[in-house]
Amino acid sequence: MAGQSDPHLSVFSPPEVEFLAEDETVEIIPKFSLGSLHMICGDFGPFRPNIASEVPLWLAVALKERGKCDIRAPDWMSVDKLMQILEAERESPREFQPLPFHYIEISKLLFKHAHDNVQDIYMVRSLIEDIRDVRFHKVETGLQTISGRTHAVKLKNLSAMEVNIVRPFMIRTLQAFYKHDSPHIIQQPEKSGSRRPQAPDHGPRVSCLVFVFQ
Amino acid sequence: MPGYYDMDDILMEDEPISVVFQVGAHGCGLLDPGSETIDIEKGMKMDLPYWLAHQLHLRQAVSISVPASFSQKTRKEIQADAACVDLKGRCPYFYELGCKIAPLVGDKTIGSFLLYAFTDRYKEMLSKSHGAPAVTRFSSRLTKEESQLFEAARSSMAAFKKWRTGGSRLEKAAILGRKRKRTVPLGPSSP
Repeated sequence: MAGQSDPHLSVFSPPEVEFLAEDETVEIIPKFSLGSLHMICGDFGPFRPNIASEVPLWLAVALKERGKCDIRAPDWMSVDKLMQILEAERESPREFQPLPFHYIEISKLLFKHAHDNVQDIYMVRSLIEDIRDVRFHKVETGLQTISGRTHAVKLKNLSAMEVNIVRPFMIRTLQAFYKHDSPHIIQQPEKSGSRRPQAPDHGPRVSCLVFVFQ
Repeated sequence: MPGYYDMDDILMEDEPISVVFQVGAHGCGLLDPGSETIDIEKGMKMDLPYWLAHQLHLRQAVSISVPASFSQKTRKEIQADAACVDLKGRCPYFYELGCKIAPLVGDKTIGSFLLYAFTDRYKEMLSKSHGAPAVTRFSSRLTKEESQLFEAARSSMAAFKKWRTGGSRLEKAAILGRKRKRTVPLGPSSP
């Protein structure tokens, strides 16, 4: 991967995650007329003026920059929906609300290229920032409870960019705790007078971190 | 696990450990820069690097005493407030050394003491590394291993913030920035 400038730290850099996010589909309202476009990843079109069609985000942004379409903001990007999600995030301290996997990247791209197509853009932007802050705080609080017995960390409904931020830190943390909390370093207190052999603690078999998200 | 080629492991094994010789050794007086004789007597105390002390211990030629970093004084300091103790000044390879020393010295409490210290400092590090962009004094007190952790979190957060404030995804290559003198040919070269 192109994160080779420092291969130990992170596999993906944020622009790379954004690049991967551009594969998500959005709806556009073309202003032109064209037959089908046959591309490697699929066929798009035909495009007729004022008739919505679904295209990947990279194509939508390219068309928008040339002034050939209007991008329709996705459903989850309305002020009401985001308010609901923010309230739900604040009320549940351990769970993450289901959000699109690439919500941070999609919203940034739309703000940059299609700011006239998003209703109440300032409100939406600040709501998304707040949601991001609350979720990240939850991740940090969850990280405080890691101990040596943690085999894997499950973070449900975490988004791509958030995973990318915590990935290097979490991997190193789990490795460090595994090294320090392993049973052969910490001597267990022997039970006097007990003849039963203790079941061997096999310890965590995975040495790499598994993020589980849905 | 650290291996033969791991650079940090090699540097860690160079840390001095104080040992007491159980046997005499002829001609080895040069191991101790301050000794007058060319021989080592039984019962002499000196500082050797860990790799040497370990090998001699296996041959039962020395007995290893607990290094200063794991003494009662340091333990009390860490129990008071782990995050403020300057481990980098005392021993930059605090944790690795402790793990290696524990089976040699026969002190069973070192393992849990290391875990306690690490957990405490880790909690402090969690809040500081993701938040403030400025380099704090806290980061100058971390051991090698902890500062790698800290750096990882700091740089991934910085990269995200830089991406968030926008900017082009394409960077101009550094080599194009240099101005070069170009010799313009005046006319067609004469045959």
